[in-house]
Amino acid sequence: MKEIVILSGKGGTGKSSVCSALAHIKKDNILVADCDVDAADLHLIMAPENVPGVDFYSGIIAEIDAEKCIACGLCAQKCRFDAISLYEGKYRVEPLDCEGCAYCHYICPVEAIAIPQQNIGNYFQAESRLGFTLVHARLNIGAENSGKLVAKVKSIAKEQCKKEGKDFMLVDGSPGIGCPVISSLSGVDYVVLVTEATYSGLSDLERLWTLLDMFKLPGACIVNKADINPSVASEIRKFMQKKKIADLGDIPYSEDFPKAIAMGRTLIEENETRWRPVFEKIWKAIEEKI
Amino acid sequence: MIVGFTSTGEGWDAKIDPRFGRTEFILIYDEEKDELKAVDNREVSDMAHGVGPKTAQKIHELGVQVLITGNGPGGNAAEVLKNMNVKIYIKAGGMGIREAYGTYKANKLESIGG
Repeated sequence: MKEIVILSGKGGTGKSSVCSALAHIKKDNILVADCDVDAADLHLIMAPENVPGVDFYSGIIAEIDAEKCIACGLCAQKCRFDAISLYEGKYRVEPLDCEGCAYCHYICPVEAIAIPQQNIGNYFQAESRLGFTLVHARLNIGAENSGKLVAKVKSIAKEQCKKEGKDFMLVDGSPGIGCPVISSLSGVDYVVLVTEATYSGLSDLERLWTLLDMFKLPGACIVNKADINPSVASEIRKFMQKKKIADLGDIPYSEDFPKAIAMGRTLIEENETRWRPVFEKIWKAIEEKI
Repeated sequence: MIVGFTSTGEGWDAKIDPRFGRTEFILIYDEEKDELKAVDNREVSDMAHGVGPKTAQKIHELGVQVLITGNGPGGNAAEVLKNMNVKIYIKAGGMGIREAYGTYKANKLESIGG
């Protein structure tokens, strides 16, 4: 089994559209994991069957027991996130402001502050409408993605992929270069980068490459919307040549991308004659490299 | 030499965990004493953020001089290990511990930094 992760550095480059199109091409021999949990959207396109989610716990938030609280105010005074305030004679924590540092828990003189693990969302393993299994997660409002959640989604996906005997596991990763991205890179065989012909696309690609280079992971790049700024596109290509990043080809700007997402379709479904050859070629190039 | 492994289990028959920060166990092999011991890292791997530097610190405290792992540590953790002069060998993910040790001894593992 080979694990391929799709990353972009910058958000909005078309990473998930590319991911769903590639998944469609290989739909009979693939499993897909959506690790872009902050803005999960593959389930909109893949329309997986409704299955009960599994609760996921990560991180802590302070909780003051009003019965035990003697309203000394030490917690509110020491909280550097200003997350604790006085309300009708008692102190309470504003959960959205609490960073979970637990300082108040340790200094409370009457041990009135607990730091329970937070249920931040659910994860699901379900059959998509295209037939393959999709592992995805949904965060509660205000919750944030973490390396831990990505690790969980990936480990479930990997186990299931082995069980199904599929040859490819495709991971839609997070934008950026932080903890969730680092976590999504663990144990992967190949990285597909999707960038766009803008300066922020190039800049974020450079930052992402620094990370991949540290892990010595092999990668290839697709330049999406290559025609919106040809001079930046050529700068991106120069960067790729310098860093020996394989070129998977350009994709011109197309309104099929937003249209397909709005309609809950893959690009292949949006316009088969136009997009199937493009993504078959890209997939073939990836397969030859791994 | 004290050799450390990121590992999915507790003995020579376990496999190298490709993850660094979230590795479940750290195995320590003391070459002089010919002694292998396992350190449970699951409490660290269960945290939401910042697991890399925590695991790196643990590895330093255990006196590891050579680390054999899969992907290798991320930026922050790599910085810690570099300052501790830990030599890091990567791309052993999925190998058995014994196999990974043999491959390292045969000078066939890729190294980074350190």
